[in-house]
Amino acid sequence: MNLQYNGEEQIPAGVDKVWSFVTDPEKVGRCFPEVVDVAVQDPTHFDAVVQVGVGPVRGKFKLKVELLPDAAKRRLDMKISGGGFGSAVDLTAGADIIEGGAGATTLKWNGQAVARGPIASVGGRVLDAQAQKLIGQAFATVRERLTTGSG
Amino acid sequence: MSIQAKPLHSVGVHMKRKEDPRFIQGKGNYVDDLSFPGMLYLSLVRSTYPHAEITNIDISEAMKVPGVKAVITGKDLEAAGLGWLPTFHGFDKQMVLAIGKVLFQYQEVAAVFAETRAAAVDGAEAVQVDYAPLPVVADPFTSKTDKTLLRPDRESKTNHIFHWEVGDKEGTARALAASPKRIKQRLWFQRCHPAPLEPCGCVAYFDTMGRLQFHVTSQAPHVYRTALSLVTGIPEDKIHVISPDLGGGFGNKVPVYPGYVCAIVGALKIGRPVKWIETRTENLTSTGFARDYHMDVEIGATADGTITALHVATTADHGAFDAAADPTKYPAGIFGIVTGSYSFPVAYAEVDAYFTNKAPGGIAYRCSFRVTEASYAIERGMDILADELGMDAVELRKKNFIRTDQFPYPSALGFTYDSGDYHKTLDTALEKIGYSQLLKEQAEKRARGELMGIGLSTFTEVVGAGPSKHFDIIGIKMFDSAEIRIHPTGAGIVRTGTKSQGQGHETTWAQIVAEELGLDPQQIMVEEGDTDTAPYGLGTYASRSTPTAGAAIAMAARRIREKARKIAAHLLEVGETDVEWKDYKFQVKGVPSKTVTMKEVAFAAYTNMAKNEPGLEATFYYDPPNMTYPNGTYIAVVDIDRETGEVKVRRFLAVDDCGTIINPLVVEGQIHGGLTEGFAIAFMQEIQYDAEGNNLNTNFTDYLVPTSLETPHWETDKTVTPSPHHPIGAKGVGESPNVGSPAAFVNAVVDALSPFGVRHIEMPITRSKVWQAIRDAEARKTV
Repeated sequence: MNLQYNGEEQIPAGVDKVWSFVTDPEKVGRCFPEVVDVAVQDPTHFDAVVQVGVGPVRGKFKLKVELLPDAAKRRLDMKISGGGFGSAVDLTAGADIIEGGAGATTLKWNGQAVARGPIASVGGRVLDAQAQKLIGQAFATVRERLTTGSG
Repeated sequence: MSIQAKPLHSVGVHMKRKEDPRFIQGKGNYVDDLSFPGMLYLSLVRSTYPHAEITNIDISEAMKVPGVKAVITGKDLEAAGLGWLPTFHGFDKQMVLAIGKVLFQYQEVAAVFAETRAAAVDGAEAVQVDYAPLPVVADPFTSKTDKTLLRPDRESKTNHIFHWEVGDKEGTARALAASPKRIKQRLWFQRCHPAPLEPCGCVAYFDTMGRLQFHVTSQAPHVYRTALSLVTGIPEDKIHVISPDLGGGFGNKVPVYPGYVCAIVGALKIGRPVKWIETRTENLTSTGFARDYHMDVEIGATADGTITALHVATTADHGAFDAAADPTKYPAGIFGIVTGSYSFPVAYAEVDAYFTNKAPGGIAYRCSFRVTEASYAIERGMDILADELGMDAVELRKKNFIRTDQFPYPSALGFTYDSGDYHKTLDTALEKIGYSQLLKEQAEKRARGELMGIGLSTFTEVVGAGPSKHFDIIGIKMFDSAEIRIHPTGAGIVRTGTKSQGQGHETTWAQIVAEELGLDPQQIMVEEGDTDTAPYGLGTYASRSTPTAGAAIAMAARRIREKARKIAAHLLEVGETDVEWKDYKFQVKGVPSKTVTMKEVAFAAYTNMAKNEPGLEATFYYDPPNMTYPNGTYIAVVDIDRETGEVKVRRFLAVDDCGTIINPLVVEGQIHGGLTEGFAIAFMQEIQYDAEGNNLNTNFTDYLVPTSLETPHWETDKTVTPSPHHPIGAKGVGESPNVGSPAAFVNAVVDALSPFGVRHIEMPITRSKVWQAIRDAEARKTV
């Protein structure tokens, strides 16, 4: 099951602050929806455990995440792969960090996911909407943390 | 052998099934009911990817799970020489546990053995498998390009498995080119699954004598014994296969599956009994699927509707391994029956099979090896031809039926049809359903804009594989066998090489013995499925039990009768030639008052046999001289709601001709069950894969099984044209309703939609497909 998403968030913080947040594995990892655990391996690699529930398919996913920052272009690509309970997901996401003026930043993101196993079959009917919601939630959390300063 | 006309005694009697009381009371004995001291449970780690390299398997966390005793992988099995399992088709092999890469989603990757079922499942969850995804081949047309080679392990570096053909290629092409009328239609018989209510499973252990005791859900226990001996190297005398009560099989329990081999290896390695029972999802996603034939059907005809030629070119999706479980010489099964009930002067059929990243299979789901696909192709084709000709589908069929005076009929594709009276069977059905009245009603409804359809299927199938000169599985000829022992009191036991999965053998086999020997069928016990006691046979599938084992029972009983005649002569104090078998007892020729019953003879066989050999038993191995050719006319009447696309099957009549009927009640039950499965295939069932190779129908919420609420009311009737070569004239019936009904349903729906110009609609016919077909037609009109 091949899924594609995109969207954007307006963040009331400067580009440098946003860039430093999204390239920090500990911080960005904690923005994953339903995250249970984040274990940073090195500045561009971390493992995350997330609680997943799509329709009747529920359990924990173990994800390996690789951050591919391009500071010159202010673009962050991310490769996520992993799974659990017989399901798997391969996700690539990209975000352009764009100067929004007046100390604000636009975070323009897109993502592609391939889901496999029960999450795609049993959860297939609701997966698309659910994934859109979760990804949206993730970037909303980024905005919230940067806005409230909790990041 | 001639068919004797005789008064009914046991054969032909509506006898209630002897096995039913124990099933109705929940007292059946299934594999999962078995428990042995120290028994471990096996759970399989399955692939999430449809095509990927395995870069690492880490079992360390699994071994820490409380209760887990061992984990084995493909590498372990390969080191032991058990990495690959030959498929029953004989020309391919399949991985027991994945070696190097996985080829379909849910493929077996590792086996976890634990003290409890829950611990085994937890252990399987804890096995960490790392995959590097490879490009996925999700359909046979992509496979054809060979852009991604799926099976580098094979000598032939292509995804093409085989090309099979039969008939006159050039002659057919010439005849089609010269035909004034021609139709050509792509028909896809979708991938579906037998989905027996009891999934597959086994318990394996080595007894104190070092003998493998293997309790397994098998439709062919003797073939399993031989195959296991060949694969494992265990001498065949050290293998005891027991197939207990089975909760349905439908062809799904013919192949040997990796779980069975893993259970045996675990039992050997750990020294304790191992049970493996697959889940519903495992059954639907990894065991033998059925059909998945893309068929291009081309029929030629004269302007007045006389058929001239048939060409069917099929692209078959066999999945990751060629595990179709077909007889050796028939890689496309008995698809040559595709000429159906019609007198084609020339025909040509070809099948090309391809590997894809899907579960392996292509098994004979309630069907005699691809006969369902063939029947669907010709019965849809004839309706499309009728539409092209502007002719009534009944008239086209009647015009082209094989006539009674043509039997035995040599078909253009090499079969010799044994018997049939197709016109009579069709006329019986037309009269019973009130065909002319239905046509009138349909015309009135069409005038009012209502959608009503009438669909026919006048199929012929070929069953009873089969004659040893043509049929074998892994080299073993497809005969079957029976052993009968009559006890001193006239009771007895019959054992056969077949294995009932719900067909009612415990009743019908007893009826054949009782009929042949004049005994009480209630006192004839039937035992199957135990390789230590039953004579060797090829098992139950492909409607072969009655044509082969049923014949063997009759012949073994006649052997007993011949021996009994000698004892009867002694009791009647006359010479053997003066004794005749008449009215179910021995009598002195010309002296009706001097008789002795089989029961009396049985007692004498143990107490007063004179110089004759004591005892009363016989064995017969029956090698059928030909296949049998059951046939029928099925008529479906449907109403369609043009706003919602909902199809209501208002009536369905099945008139079957399966030759001599042993038990009408059992036959009726078989027809009801088969029609329900055919209905499900036509309207509800498909194993779908998405473009990434995900199986989308992994449980009964996505792979639908009809309940009594969805199932139409079935009407049945019969004509009886005995098989001239079967000892009691029987042909077999278990599969006819599944073979014949899908085309009747689809023909009825297409007939209902014909005012919109719809000529074909693919199964499963869902409401949305019908709704869309109507909307598309309306849009065309608007444009």
